[in-house]
Amino acid sequence: MLKKRIDIAMAIIIFSAALLLTRLWYLQIYRGDEYAKLAERNRIRIQTIAAPRGNILDRTGQPIITNRPHFNVVWNREDSPNPDEVIKDLAKILNEDISVLLDRIRVASENPRYMLTRLKEDIDWETMASIENKKLSLPGVSIEVIPSRDYLYGDFASHLIGYLGEISPAELEESRYATYSSGDQVGKQGAEKIFEEYLKGEKGRNYLEVDVHGFQQRQMQRQEPFPGNDLHLTLDIELQRAAEEAMAGKAGAVVAMEVNTGNLLVLTSTPPLPLQEFSGGRILTSVWNRLLTDPLNPLLNKTIQGQYPPGSTFKIVTALAAISEGVITPDTTFFCSGALHFGNRRYGCWKKGGHGTVNFQRALTESCDVYFYSVGQRLGVDNIAKYANSLGLGEKTGIELEHEKGGLIPSKAWKQQRLKQKWQDGETLSVAIGQGYVSTTPLQLCRMTAAVVNGGTLYRPRMVHRITAPDGKTLKTFAPVSEGKIIGSENSLALIREALVGVVNSAAGTAKVVALPEVLIGGKTGTAQVVHLSQVSGMSEKDIPYKYRDHAWFTSFAPAEKPEIAVTVLVEHGRHGGSAAGPVARAVFKKYFELTGVIKPAPEATPPAAAPDEKDE
Amino acid sequence: MLRFDRRMLLNIDWVLIVAVLSVAFIGLVNLYSSTHLYTNAGVPLYLKELTYYLFGAAIILLVISVDYRVLLTLNYPLYIAMILLLLFALLFGRTIGGAQRWINLGFFRLQPSEPAKLILVITLASYYYRKDNGKGFGLLDLAVPALLTGLPFLLIAKQPDLGTGLLLVFIFASMTLFIKLRKSTLLTLLCGGISFLPIAWKFFLKPYQRQRVETFINPENDPLGAGYHIIQSKIAVGSGLIFGKGYTKGTQGQLDFLPERHTDFAFSVWAEEWGFFGSFILVICYFFMILWGLNIAISARDKFGVLLAFGVVSLIFWQAFINLAMVMGLLPVVGVPMPLISFGGSSLITNLAGLGLLMNIRMRRYMGTS
Repeated sequence: MLKKRIDIAMAIIIFSAALLLTRLWYLQIYRGDEYAKLAERNRIRIQTIAAPRGNILDRTGQPIITNRPHFNVVWNREDSPNPDEVIKDLAKILNEDISVLLDRIRVASENPRYMLTRLKEDIDWETMASIENKKLSLPGVSIEVIPSRDYLYGDFASHLIGYLGEISPAELEESRYATYSSGDQVGKQGAEKIFEEYLKGEKGRNYLEVDVHGFQQRQMQRQEPFPGNDLHLTLDIELQRAAEEAMAGKAGAVVAMEVNTGNLLVLTSTPPLPLQEFSGGRILTSVWNRLLTDPLNPLLNKTIQGQYPPGSTFKIVTALAAISEGVITPDTTFFCSGALHFGNRRYGCWKKGGHGTVNFQRALTESCDVYFYSVGQRLGVDNIAKYANSLGLGEKTGIELEHEKGGLIPSKAWKQQRLKQKWQDGETLSVAIGQGYVSTTPLQLCRMTAAVVNGGTLYRPRMVHRITAPDGKTLKTFAPVSEGKIIGSENSLALIREALVGVVNSAAGTAKVVALPEVLIGGKTGTAQVVHLSQVSGMSEKDIPYKYRDHAWFTSFAPAEKPEIAVTVLVEHGRHGGSAAGPVARAVFKKYFELTGVIKPAPEATPPAAAPDEKDE
Repeated sequence: MLRFDRRMLLNIDWVLIVAVLSVAFIGLVNLYSSTHLYTNAGVPLYLKELTYYLFGAAIILLVISVDYRVLLTLNYPLYIAMILLLLFALLFGRTIGGAQRWINLGFFRLQPSEPAKLILVITLASYYYRKDNGKGFGLLDLAVPALLTGLPFLLIAKQPDLGTGLLLVFIFASMTLFIKLRKSTLLTLLCGGISFLPIAWKFFLKPYQRQRVETFINPENDPLGAGYHIIQSKIAVGSGLIFGKGYTKGTQGQLDFLPERHTDFAFSVWAEEWGFFGSFILVICYFFMILWGLNIAISARDKFGVLLAFGVVSLIFWQAFINLAMVMGLLPVVGVPMPLISFGGSSLITNLAGLGLLMNIRMRRYMGTS
């Protein structure tokens, strides 16, 4: 009887053992791989290491932007038994209000416990030293080192280079940012954005073994980050510096281009973007608001986004069309009495007393409006538009930068289509001297000037000529891109060049202030009306409010015998092309020819004084 | 009373001693692995456990030196002492983890629910031995043992420690089914027990206990709460694969993913580090030890020895089975330690005393019945 019960018990026990062993087999062998993976995922935490971004260099290999370690104060709440005391002490060292630090901690309180909270970015050496010294009394506080942008030349070329920022949720959705994760730095503007793919490098990975609380136990494996590629700009930082210094305090743009390649040597828009404010990847709202409301509009890249009436610089286009179309010869003369009456309107020349009898050469050199009114009448607006378009006006130049504007070259068809109005012949007169509907960007005018003086080839402007890997190997080169030949006869181009040299070098030229003794410079001044003359009539020049003052243009090239470089300057509300914009171009030419050895650098460094207005347009 | 017989020494149960020693050895080796990273000051836990073993060995010597039949006279004093200790723990005991289970003796924190298990075995064995008239037990005859079980059950469930409480019920059920019951009694009990289950679910279980059972049925529903222990333990066991991750190399245990790794989940640590191979060896050793206990029961010299040995076997078996099934995710987390493998002085000494009783019965199997 008992024996039987013991046997039953034995059977139950053996069955239980078999059940448990089967279960063990099921967990450890049948589904073992699955659990092994889960165990791995439990213990291994992957930390990404930011890659140093590629450097940005000028055309001679001079670094403009590199990286430097950025020291951030971080906080680990797990390691600190007495957070309030520590934060109080830390606030003193950082010279920061305690509420600022507490705010940051509060914001980060949703994050996983092992994640560090950033309390202050980019502290200086002294602050870091005092934190390190007091380390023992600051449990939980540590210093984090992150590579960040170092702007060696401050704000130079800021619009071209652009800035970085933390990737936005919207960008994270885009396929081009598929490998990014939130918190990453990404190019937001300019070259930093366009060449992001080359500059970014590859993130490193740190495989850490962590315990259940996420605390690091052991370093497992480390994949070093791979630095980004270097961007070699066509820009020359010395020329850029010369241009920026000459533009100091003025709003406007400077563009310099190699006439035979389209390489941009200078691309300046002032006021510059305050790049330093962006270097932490984050800009203060107050700074941003200031930028947004600044009347000088620093956020606008005026070289490609500023659309201004070209004023008298447009006479180059009208002249080219007139000679090429044969509506005039170089010897054709018109009489300038100071105004031309057309229809029931009076079209004035800038020189109220008139130029008298002027030929083609003098008309361009002295910028006679009446001459070009007459030429424009003979040409008609569509002929002018044809040549303007051929010179690359009225359309985007195709530079790498984003948000470029195309300007506007009006035609009869355009007006009909856009404004549903018939073209008025009188409007052709305004167009002939670069007013009315015409608008251009400084970059367009620079490229136009280059095409006029290089034998007629229109190049696409570009700002990067090479990308190299961190080991120096060239990954990609960018050859000059020709957009084709401009229309217009060789003869007419030669005549125009000759007249433009006269602008700078003849006694009656409008830009004599630009002339350099060592190099023959040619150019054309321009004044772009911002408001109709009637609004400011009767006011003396000084009384006109800043915002109503004319824009000053100067577009130029050198050396005249065999042009190498074209320089275009726009000074917003600078009034007179020769006196406001001319000296800026002169400074760029001077530096350029110093660098090429044509001009011996003078020991003194006084900038060319803006000569008193000898000659207005 | 201390009649030391030469035959007794000759009949020392070496098989059981070897089985216990091998399981104990595995337990200690494993305990070192699961606790060597603990940073709390004081004596390392594996050394503490070793001390308990030495103390337990002394208890075994004490237990085997006295004929187990002396328990027939000691059973009620023991039972009363147990009830008093449980009451004391409930009223003045130390609270750890929300349960009042501990009595601080200064050098040792006694958990009276542990010896209570063994004392219940002794009590029931004595009672059934005395009342057995060969005609089988009726329903009324079971009222007293049910009360004897019910009182400590309530005191322990009140702590609350449902796992240990249920263990008492399991022991009671096993021993009651082992003695001769009338057929009608058996049927009534069966029907009654089944119909009682839903009522117990509704009225006797605390919400957290019901939740444990629910999460056991679907652990992924609550991966960070009550289901967490089950999931992490299954990961630990499963990731051991065939030969394990190596001694002290288990990531689930060493990195704290495994909760209670030196007590309730000690087996998971072993399974993770030694794989199916090591787990197989441990389970086989363990169940050999249990089956050997049944062998002792069958060879006992009198019915009291049979009942007592069977009770001890059911005590060790149920603890081991519930614990193993729990860490492998076959049962809800109920907090029953695995004898000799889980850390804990009260549990170890109780179980060693039980094993001592088995040795006692084995040694005296050829002695005359008095």
